[in-house]
Amino acid sequence: MANSVTQDGIATVLSSQSSSSVRPEIVVQVIDLKPVGNRYTFNANDGKKKIKVVLPATLTSDIISGKIQNLGLIRLLDYTANDIPGNSEEKYLLVTKCEVVACALDSEIKDSTGIVLKPKDKFVAKSASQRINEQSGNAAPAARMAMTRRVHPLVSLSPYQGSWTIKVRVTNKGVMKNYKNARGEGCVFYVELTDEEGTQIQATMFNAAAKKFYDTLQMGKVFYISKGSLKLANNQFKTVQNDYEMTLNENSVVEESKNEEMSVPETKFNFVPIDELGAYVNQKDLIDVIGVVQSVSPTMSIRRKSDNEMIPKRDITLADETKKTVVVSLWNDLATGLGQELLDMADKYPIIAIKSLKVGDFQGVSLSTVSRSNVVINPDIPEATKLRSWYDSEGKETSMSAIGSGMSPSANNGSRAMYSDRVCLSHFTTNPSLGTDKPVFFSTRAYISFIKPDQVMWYRACKTCHEKVTEAMYSGYWCENCQKKNEEYSLRYIMAVKVSDSTGEAWFSAFNDEAEKIIGCTADELRKLKSEEGKVNKFQTKLKEATWSEHLFRVSVSQQEYNSEKRQKITVKSVSRIDFAAETRLLLRDISKNKNTSQF
Amino acid sequence: MDTSSPSAFVNGSLMRRYIGQKVRTVVQVIGSDVGSVVGKSTDDLQIFVKGSPPTTPTTYLEVIGIAESENSIRAEVKTNFGNNFDPLNYNELCKLANGEFKHFFI
Repeated sequence: MANSVTQDGIATVLSSQSSSSVRPEIVVQVIDLKPVGNRYTFNANDGKKKIKVVLPATLTSDIISGKIQNLGLIRLLDYTANDIPGNSEEKYLLVTKCEVVACALDSEIKDSTGIVLKPKDKFVAKSASQRINEQSGNAAPAARMAMTRRVHPLVSLSPYQGSWTIKVRVTNKGVMKNYKNARGEGCVFYVELTDEEGTQIQATMFNAAAKKFYDTLQMGKVFYISKGSLKLANNQFKTVQNDYEMTLNENSVVEESKNEEMSVPETKFNFVPIDELGAYVNQKDLIDVIGVVQSVSPTMSIRRKSDNEMIPKRDITLADETKKTVVVSLWNDLATGLGQELLDMADKYPIIAIKSLKVGDFQGVSLSTVSRSNVVINPDIPEATKLRSWYDSEGKETSMSAIGSGMSPSANNGSRAMYSDRVCLSHFTTNPSLGTDKPVFFSTRAYISFIKPDQVMWYRACKTCHEKVTEAMYSGYWCENCQKKNEEYSLRYIMAVKVSDSTGEAWFSAFNDEAEKIIGCTADELRKLKSEEGKVNKFQTKLKEATWSEHLFRVSVSQQEYNSEKRQKITVKSVSRIDFAAETRLLLRDISKNKNTSQF
Repeated sequence: MDTSSPSAFVNGSLMRRYIGQKVRTVVQVIGSDVGSVVGKSTDDLQIFVKGSPPTTPTTYLEVIGIAESENSIRAEVKTNFGNNFDPLNYNELCKLANGEFKHFFI
């Protein structure tokens, strides 16, 4: 049956999912093919049933080129059936491999008996089961509302689809702002909406619509919303991960859902451990943290430079399992309202999670709330439980240090600062003017790629103060610094090494202690090897052995004048071995940071 | 690289997707007997390994073999992975290798 759908294909697929090794290949018709962001979704029709299908972004080109067409037939070769989150009765298929069987047919294939299961029928069944779970009081009207409404997942919305209804929780709300522009005056506010699948979208309302919905749309409540309009999101002002943003006008419909349970994930956090905050200092990204409140300051009044207004501020100190503390400045309402709450419960060392904090460099690292920041005290999430049990068992007693103090260039305990301020070598090559005013510090993981054998690798140093010594008259060596003549000198390294990583290469300068770690022997020993005669050049061998070894470096970058030209100078402040488990954790964090969080 | 017999990276909960197929996983050895090893997977589920443990076993053991059920493997290759192994990192690898980066793996 080459040009038709597999009979009962969808039913077969759904029933075979329990024994997962068999994946029947079925032919289905593509219905309602539409783009969602950069991927496509469609409803697969086998003549009897329909199931939602999501195609990966890799197949988008096949759709655009016309190979996969709406109303056409495709054979599903590799896929997984997943539950639609929050809806245990429906599944969707995530197809990873398929092949085109036929191009667009004339119409939707229907069962020979002429009965087609339309989505509305399925939805009635859902609301019937919902009705059983309803509370007795308001069951009738709520169930009636649910029956006539088909809820669309936020991820399926697009500017080209007119009639949709979404069921969302307000997870963030901005204040009403008044503005004046060329067209006149107005007021505006926005809300962040999250649906059951966790997808988020920003919705903005102006003037009449703003006034109409400002009081209705309360934080934390669930609403059915329809008749809004979508457009591509303005990247500069993106607060949530969504290709689109929504605008509601006076004709939009907003109805509160009073009784139905909605399993909307509360606020989606992406926590940064305190000891990794260094990398975000003065960046424009806002971050989330979670920690135990160790102390709460009284409210202070700070004069805002822009308009001389006095605004309240309160500082709290947070600690987490990395045994580091950081100061978070709460501003305005957060300082007065929430801040007071925290002060009252300070002796219980509550856990707070804060979303959208700005990272500054006051005292090394400091966090500040912005108007968008969202604070939850003792949130009901696994990270909070973990923190609570850590603090109660060991955290309370451990002495911790402020994250800012680890930012100093002290070379000895470089290991603590090795996981903050992490950059790739491309950061140095693409920013030639780094460290123009004062030196900047970074940590980076790289391979030694080249050590020039015929460079000046060492200098004669005073054994006491390590400064350069000069040959004294007749014999001995004179140290200008100590104002003493020494019998002997010691050799100390001053070496240029080339390093490489996957993003580029750079030249580092290494002094004695760090170079010793790289080469594996003292400068005196290396000089001895250099002067040795013999078949094997032990000196070259020693350098070769040091090449292509991977290290974790802490470096300072500054500008040096060289022939009246400014050149970037990178100096190694400390070297340490790679801790593979810690590096892997960093990589995992980077992967999840770069992941496109739109789920479909 | 010998790709004739690929094995999928799994943890305890991913095993059920590969029943009858070749898998590889790392377990923390909880107990061993003649001919079998009981291990804890990187996501804290119990895994039974059919096959004698190596003579001097370490805390972590990598097992490559056929998944006979959702919690047992008939081992073909067993390798000591030492005592310092980060199970959380391995667990994340399994999730990524079977999830959005599945196309990177054979």
